[in-house]
Amino acid sequence: MDGFALELREIVKTYPGGVRALDGVDLAVRPRELHALCGENGAGKTTLAAIAAARLQATRGRVTAAGTVGFVPQHPHLVERMRVWENVVLGREPRRGLRLDAVAARERVRNLSARFALPVEPDARIESLDAGAMQRVEILRELAREPAVLILDEPTAALAPGESDALFATLQTLAASGTAILVVTHDLGDIAEYAERITVLRAGRVAARFERGARASEIARAMVGGELPVLATRIDGPTAPCLEVRALSARAGADALHDFDLDVRAGEIVGIAGVEGNGQRALADAVAGLTPYRGTVRLDGRELSAGDPGGRIAAGLRTIPRDRQREGLVLEWTLAENLALGDQRRRPLRRGPFLDREAARARARDVIARFDVRAPSLEARAYALSGGNQQKLLAGRALAARPRLLLACEPTRGIDVGAAALLRSRVIEARNAGVAVLVISLELDELFELADRIVVLFRGTRTGEFARDGFDRARIGAALAGVRAG
Amino acid sequence: MRAAAWVAVGGLALAGAGATLLAGANPLEAAGALLRGALGGPQQIAETLVQTASLLFPALAVGFALRGGLFNIGADGQAVAGGLVAGLIGAAWPGAGGFALVAALAGGTLAGGAWGALAGVLRARFGGSEVIATLMLNVLAGLLATYLLSGPLRAPGATGPETAALPESVWLPLLMPGTRLSVALPLALALAAALQIVLRRTIYGFELRAAGLAPETARRAGIDLGAIAFSALSLSGAMAGLGGATIVTGVLHRFDPALSPGYGFIGIAVALVGGLEPARIALSAFGFAILQSGSLTLQAFAHVPKDVIVLLEGLAIVALAGRRAFVARATLPP
Repeated sequence: MDGFALELREIVKTYPGGVRALDGVDLAVRPRELHALCGENGAGKTTLAAIAAARLQATRGRVTAAGTVGFVPQHPHLVERMRVWENVVLGREPRRGLRLDAVAARERVRNLSARFALPVEPDARIESLDAGAMQRVEILRELAREPAVLILDEPTAALAPGESDALFATLQTLAASGTAILVVTHDLGDIAEYAERITVLRAGRVAARFERGARASEIARAMVGGELPVLATRIDGPTAPCLEVRALSARAGADALHDFDLDVRAGEIVGIAGVEGNGQRALADAVAGLTPYRGTVRLDGRELSAGDPGGRIAAGLRTIPRDRQREGLVLEWTLAENLALGDQRRRPLRRGPFLDREAARARARDVIARFDVRAPSLEARAYALSGGNQQKLLAGRALAARPRLLLACEPTRGIDVGAAALLRSRVIEARNAGVAVLVISLELDELFELADRIVVLFRGTRTGEFARDGFDRARIGAALAGVRAG
Repeated sequence: MRAAAWVAVGGLALAGAGATLLAGANPLEAAGALLRGALGGPQQIAETLVQTASLLFPALAVGFALRGGLFNIGADGQAVAGGLVAGLIGAAWPGAGGFALVAALAGGTLAGGAWGALAGVLRARFGGSEVIATLMLNVLAGLLATYLLSGPLRAPGATGPETAALPESVWLPLLMPGTRLSVALPLALALAAALQIVLRRTIYGFELRAAGLAPETARRAGIDLGAIAFSALSLSGAMAGLGGATIVTGVLHRFDPALSPGYGFIGIAVALVGGLEPARIALSAFGFAILQSGSLTLQAFAHVPKDVIVLLEGLAIVALAGRRAFVARATLPP
């Protein structure tokens, strides 16, 4: 074992269909080390992590671990209807005779929570938790098996800004106390600050290795294999009213919006900032016509009726949904089919009762070129694409239809810097061309890059509005916390 | 996954052989009896093709609905509804000939469609489970037909719940004189071809498949899931109803509430083995028809209970379900 907690040697992974995701990768994680694995989308990070965690078989190569390997996937895998303690002990329940010993199980969860400084409420139901709490439950569940290595795939993707610092601090403590940590991430700020060693993957190979102290810009260059792309320039043109939201009250699960007004003009990007769960989802669902609401939503002066997403599409709204796999794609379908979705009833895709397959392929070729979607072919299935390429596909689909209003929910969540810059550039170009854009994002940096105006949501109401020349981290931060401003 | 497919086929053959041995017979002889019974001569082949048509209508009905994510397990009830209306129309105008035949088939299609639409309304309007609705409507269709034919619509001189025998002018034309093989088979194949085009090429098929594979994505793309559920269950019922009408006008030449002895349930297996693709469902129906029509000879001459065939059909479904496990190992879970 040469004293490694986890060692991968010459890992090759070829997916059915011939896509080579990994091409001879070596990776070693030492005990007591916080190791970061970074790379662009499609570089092979998630594949490598899944192989290390024995979730996936490598085509060739050797994996050795000093003990069990814990794995926290990017999207939570928890039983939503069950309680925290039930999820943590699931599969290794303490028993008394034939019965589940609930007292001992709760006690065990409380002890774990205290020992690893991961606060959870053992009796809370998973469905009532926010993203950060769900993640703590997943980490606890894995730690309960006393793993030699804990692997986390994109752990900060769903977290609010402050939460990711807290997470990394916890991970550092964990590493110091003996559990080796491997974090798969594209979030360079955190890596540079906390990781002891960094392995950068590019196109299925190791592109570079860094020790603590490397600068974020160096790591970013290694990831993209060159200089970072520059954002498109904003060119101001005439603006006109497009989206008018008046006295809107809506609900989406636990998320609520109260008596909210908003205008988005054609040729303008309005950003909605807020900590997760402060009304963003209710706003997005109401604007997209997915949920009932009180108040009015007008597009180009025409009032839209609730519960009619098709009517919104006909009126010129296109959406980049927050959950690309569940809300945006048909994973089993080809790229061309996915790109036709939403416009199947309009020319040029519609030809009488038939879908014009040549027109669908032409659109696919166009989007793939404009959005740099990396796919083996037009016939490739959506599930074979990496997260970033799936996201490019959805953004390309939304903009290919020349919308009047683009609603973009977390448009670059979980994707790498290169892909994010490309998407943001395309959104700015659409704005320059007179599209009204509403961006809802948890990432302030993204809004700073994109928005002409930022509106801050707190508990379903507006606590601030900031014009581009008045973007100020401290004042916006105060509004995020509920202090009314601007 | 070719290898896995052959393993599955081999496994099924072994299971069949094992079950035959347990029944105290020689597996090779049994297989011979099965094939002789199904394909041993023109008469046998014709009978197997009759079975193929009778299975193909409900299998296409089930497969079509399932592409839209809707489980129609009521093809039997829809066939009864369609067969009843076809039988009543056919018996009503003995002199009308070809027109009455077309009217009987059309009426049967509409009746089956209406029976499916009942489940469709419950699903689209109230979110009720179409599984339970179609299952219960099976029972209702049988009881309703029995009631009508024993009471208000009782045929003069009838001894059981049957319509009067249909005049020969409303029988489906035969393809092979001296057998029961009628134009029901080409009709079913034409339906399969039409469905293939609807699913692959049309906007309706596109929306149906999206709703079946990814409902949340489909809803956000402006597809009305309620309208899809209603139309798909109605069309599915119409296909099963047409099947019932062809059994009445082509095989039984009268309506009998037992006209569809479990075809709707076997149709689920036929559709799944056919991968829900109409063209492959047609092949699958032929395969199942061989088993069905051979099973009688198997029992009569090789003294193997015909339940062995039911066992094999069941194992085929299990093997199909197991295939997912093989495929899943080689790819990342989405």
